[in-house]
Amino acid sequence: MADYAIAAEDLTYNYGDLTAVDHINFQVAEGEILGFLGPNGAGKTTTVKMLTGQMKPKGGRAVLLGMDVAKNIERVQGHIGVCFETTNLYEQMSAIENLNFFAKLFDTRPFDANEFLRRVGLEDRGKDKVETYSKGMKQRLMVARSLINQPKILFLDEPTAGLDPTSSEAIREVILKEKARGATVFLTTHDMVEADKLSDRVAFMNQGKIVALDTPLNLKRQYGRRALKVKVSTESGALEDREIDLDTPETAASVQELFSREQVVTIHSEEATLEDIFITITGRGLTE
Amino acid sequence: MNQRIIGALLAKDLTLFFRKKVILVLTVLGLVFYLVIYFVMPDTVGETLKIGIHGADLPPVIGETTVEGLEITLVASEEELKSSVAEGTYIAGIAFPADLMERLVSGEKPDIHLYFTPDAPQEIKSAMETLVNEFAYLITGETLNVEISQEVLGQDLLGTPVPPRDRMRPLLAVMIIFMEMLGLANLISEEVERRTAQALLVTPATVIDLFTAKSIAGIGLAFIQALLVMVIVGGMNINPLLILIALFLGAVLVTGLSFLVSAFAKDFLSVLAWSVPFLVVMFIPALGVLLPGAITGWVKIIPSYYLVDTIHRVANYGSGWGDVWGSLLILLGYAAVIITAGILVLRRKLQ
Repeated sequence: MADYAIAAEDLTYNYGDLTAVDHINFQVAEGEILGFLGPNGAGKTTTVKMLTGQMKPKGGRAVLLGMDVAKNIERVQGHIGVCFETTNLYEQMSAIENLNFFAKLFDTRPFDANEFLRRVGLEDRGKDKVETYSKGMKQRLMVARSLINQPKILFLDEPTAGLDPTSSEAIREVILKEKARGATVFLTTHDMVEADKLSDRVAFMNQGKIVALDTPLNLKRQYGRRALKVKVSTESGALEDREIDLDTPETAASVQELFSREQVVTIHSEEATLEDIFITITGRGLTE
Repeated sequence: MNQRIIGALLAKDLTLFFRKKVILVLTVLGLVFYLVIYFVMPDTVGETLKIGIHGADLPPVIGETTVEGLEITLVASEEELKSSVAEGTYIAGIAFPADLMERLVSGEKPDIHLYFTPDAPQEIKSAMETLVNEFAYLITGETLNVEISQEVLGQDLLGTPVPPRDRMRPLLAVMIIFMEMLGLANLISEEVERRTAQALLVTPATVIDLFTAKSIAGIGLAFIQALLVMVIVGGMNINPLLILIALFLGAVLVTGLSFLVSAFAKDFLSVLAWSVPFLVVMFIPALGVLLPGAITGWVKIIPSYYLVDTIHRVANYGSGWGDVWGSLLILLGYAAVIITAGILVLRRKLQ
């Protein structure tokens, strides 16, 4: 068990008669990025709250770094960083004051707030009150705050939601650097492209259950349909679309025939998106 | 509980507290408060004064006497009468001697004892003497010469004149302490509503650390400000330890109230809405000191009464432990109950 950074063992939570998390089991290896996907109300937030010690499971247990979270909350929380979806900074304090305050809570010494601000591109605004920041800047500061204790596990909840491309890219770079440092990243997101790009594996959650958990590539192989999308030029000069399924015994012959008989203008492969796969598995979209 | 974490939380709380632009709001609130107090005070004198009377073989006519604004009760013994007055059951007691009729017949002046509560105003004392003469007339049918002696049961708070400015001391202390509720409740409700508390609770900081820091901040701010004011107005010249204890317990009480208010409030306006009713009620006992006789026994159900009572007795009359220990004990009880209730309610919201 200690080989895994995160392990959910029969993890369960219910609000009265509603079972939000229904006996889920999964493991995340050290240094792995797990994309945690699911529509609103699927049970993602409740799962994260149990993993981070904000809620006690009604059944099963969450194990982080080999420790039962419910029994070792303070020890576990010393090794994790959490970046929330909703901004929760002290807005009347500066970025430096915010970071210094959390560094004291974690007893991080020595601590240079400017170094963390540099990592998220905020070094020039460190002394300004957070209330003067844009949404993207606040989100970058939230990410910086979650890194203060050099966490072994980083929980990120929709870290790039609603942000401009520059801020999103800055945050993605930080995530990859954290992985390179050896941190495990638990990434909750609605952004399929982001999950696909960053995650080593993705977990699909639906109605309180994990319905699929694998690498994006394996999920696409297992559930997706691959095809070649081709544009050909006809004798009259018009463009027409052709499509060749990549996963049939006739694929090679079809491609050969295409090139020998038609004038190919463009050709590219197309694979299923994670959104397509989620719909295939659950019958509903991720944004529902 | 982690001292380093509590220290960091406390420093953060104080930083945020002093960055709030609430001074203007508090000034406006003060004006509103005085207006509210003005309108909640009764504009007519409709209160019935309870009088106890003891005397052997008193004619039934005395017990049946009806005087507007007076409720007369016959009491079996003089000792019972004295203890009832001391407890505040009656604002005054009249004890006729057992040999009243014999003395009247023999032409001797009978001694009639009047007993009063410590805060009975002079008007009541004068009215009681008139009433005694009225009763003597009812008994004998003629005006009689009787010897009337007065005794205040407990410390006579009206016997020693206190300048109006000094009567302000309890009001100032209560105002300073209880106005702190606005700032602290706002600080905590923002912590909950803006979800910064959630960010704190995924660090090594625990809910206990959070409450400890908030309690220290709240008690400290209220206590230190009230203490400063009391020093300036000369309220610490007599028995300062008693005043310190009273102010501290008052600060604990207001911190508990702040926890309760912050559990229900969402922003500064709702903090105001929840706090003002508490503030109005808590200020009433202090007004009773400013306007002696205006407020009677019911005020003792208000927790701040015991803070006011202690400060008034100690600072203005030089009372000692023997006089105010009961008030301090009740204040301690109120403070313990309210801060416990505040922590329990707020804890539910935090989790």
